[in-house]
Amino acid sequence: MIETYNGVLIVVALLAIVSIVSTLFSLRAGAPILLVFLVVGFMAGEDGLGNINFDNAEAAFVIGSIALALVLFDSGFGTPWRIFRLAAAPALTLATVGVILTAGLVATAAHVLFGLDWPQALLLGAIVGSTDAAAVFFLLRVGGIRVRERVRATLEVESGSNDPMAIFLVLGLVALLRSDADAIGLETLSLFATQMGLGLALGFAGGHAIVRIVNRLELEGALYPLLVAALALAVFSATNLAGGSGFLAVYVAGLVAGNRRIRRGNELKRFQQGLTWLAQIAMFVTLGLLATPSEFPAVLVPGIVLGLVLAFVARPLATVACLLPFGFSRAEHAFVGWVGLRGAVSILLAILPVAYGIDGGQMLLNLTFLIVLVSLVVQGWSIAPLARALKLVIPERAGAIERIQLDLPSEAAHELVAYRLHDDSPILGRSALPRWVKPALIVRDGQSIRSMRLDRLRAGDVIYVFVRPHRIPLLDRLIASPRPPEPGDREFFGEFEIAPETPIDELADFYGAIVNQDKRGQTVRRFLEREFGDAVEVGDRIGLGPIELVVRRLDEERRIAEVGLSITRRP
Amino acid sequence: MQIIDLLTPARVLVDVRASSKKRLLEALAGLLDERGTPDSERAIFESLVRRERLGSTGLAHGIAIPHGRSADVTRAVGAFMRLAEPLEFDSLDRQRVDLVFGLVVPEHFTDQHLMFLADLAELFSDAAITARLRAAPDAATVYGILTGGRERNAA
Repeated sequence: MIETYNGVLIVVALLAIVSIVSTLFSLRAGAPILLVFLVVGFMAGEDGLGNINFDNAEAAFVIGSIALALVLFDSGFGTPWRIFRLAAAPALTLATVGVILTAGLVATAAHVLFGLDWPQALLLGAIVGSTDAAAVFFLLRVGGIRVRERVRATLEVESGSNDPMAIFLVLGLVALLRSDADAIGLETLSLFATQMGLGLALGFAGGHAIVRIVNRLELEGALYPLLVAALALAVFSATNLAGGSGFLAVYVAGLVAGNRRIRRGNELKRFQQGLTWLAQIAMFVTLGLLATPSEFPAVLVPGIVLGLVLAFVARPLATVACLLPFGFSRAEHAFVGWVGLRGAVSILLAILPVAYGIDGGQMLLNLTFLIVLVSLVVQGWSIAPLARALKLVIPERAGAIERIQLDLPSEAAHELVAYRLHDDSPILGRSALPRWVKPALIVRDGQSIRSMRLDRLRAGDVIYVFVRPHRIPLLDRLIASPRPPEPGDREFFGEFEIAPETPIDELADFYGAIVNQDKRGQTVRRFLEREFGDAVEVGDRIGLGPIELVVRRLDEERRIAEVGLSITRRP
Repeated sequence: MQIIDLLTPARVLVDVRASSKKRLLEALAGLLDERGTPDSERAIFESLVRRERLGSTGLAHGIAIPHGRSADVTRAVGAFMRLAEPLEFDSLDRQRVDLVFGLVVPEHFTDQHLMFLADLAELFSDAAITARLRAAPDAATVYGILTGGRERNAA
């Protein structure tokens, strides 16, 4: 053992390095990154260049499960309540009913087209029933696709929460096949209730416990991310031991913990992002190693056909059926239906029949590999063009090149954001910035320059700005977008228009805001001008109870000509 | 609370004719008034007018969202009208208005009610939705479009 560990270590390290470096290729070529990891595994494996003979299905399952638990925790942790609520109903329908429908349709196709007997066909359907969170998150967040929030939220919440359902179906079917029970009886239903109920309950409890523990303990700073990861795995395994769905629990725990005030939340997010990458690489490379690509030709035709059936028939039909009550447009139906990527979870689940010695397990595993490959290639590659063709892409909004989230100890709640100015940055045409933007540093040719004067700014400069997090989208418009914010930009200029001559107290009374006695009787224009002085700028905003007033336009004499009313969305 | 909770099919009308902004607001007040007394209707109308004096509630592209407060209502109430002829509404983009969503809320105007306004502004900024609203053959279809996208309004 001691003699061989360096050999093992260098193989593992090289695999990790190759995987990480290959992300460069993936981002350039637009190839789905997970496909690249999988191929790295194939190449290293018994039929590839590396000739590593790895066929320990149980070890692969354990590694994959741990990795998946970490990925699910992170995806819950990074999902704000607002997004979750926005998409909960359609996404959870997809994550439950949708998985069953997809599984049923794939099973029917496998049975009718290729003569798999029903138990095997159903098992295959369940294995490929869930949409892969990793693939969806990666494509939607990193892959440069900006679809509308509602569509994106639905897909993210669905893919984050549908694994437990598929896992449950597969475990249930495997149990049925092993015990030769012939019907889905009460026992199965109660198993389902226990899995889901315990998963939810322990996930909630676990999430709250994680927050409490982290906020209570005074530790060395760098230890918190490790503590949280360990706690997440503890929730996962404890729930499994108790008979609940550990995957559901760890996702729910992430959701709960990520949405409460937790010490060093930003640092935790960063660490978990890294951990998620590592988990993805470990999971896909391990699964790629486990595969025996030389066996694929035997099931090539059924694999590809079923992959296409899944992409073109099963998933779209299931999506339409599930989303019908929720008033999505036709284009949105099509997009959600198409982004049904399969990934590591499916392969992971396909290991179970092999590990438990179910008849035809190896064939199911190979079929699953092919279906996942087809999905990653066909869907993964076409998502961006499809989103554009369906006109679901919201206008490109170049964002900050760097966001430095500082865990400031006070209530300051500011973030440091960096932008590299391009030729058309709207900021280059301005003499000053709205007050809610605090420039901190300007870097030119690697040197910081002392002047904070905006008229000295040039394309190519990097500007560091302190800003409150919920204002970052506004800042993007001001600095990074190709043209100044347009008058119709509700977020930037406010939903409604206010006449500048309106008395401020009438406005305040109408919206239930309170203004100081000495301000009563002033017009909105006067109120704003007194607030901002001569340096008033387009885009300046000031809060007034639950609303904000925005300076929309200045006339030639730099008097306030138009004022917008913005309804504050609490961050 | 979602937009669907604001509306009933009876408070969605199409092909409404109004000769002026004032007449339109009167008709809207009539629709919004659940109590049905001349006083309560009058109060709603006056609140809508008071709001218009602060600045037109006309958004761009032919949409208006007149809103007001009234001590006579106990919950937020909405009504929708599609006009037969676009009407001058003093919108900033000078475009006449043909889609009008009225909202009246209780006197204690809370943040929750403001969220309705934000949601409505967002809903009507969707060109696909407004195109469907304009093309819809009847009030029932319009009601379906407005309330169908319910999860859109959940946040």
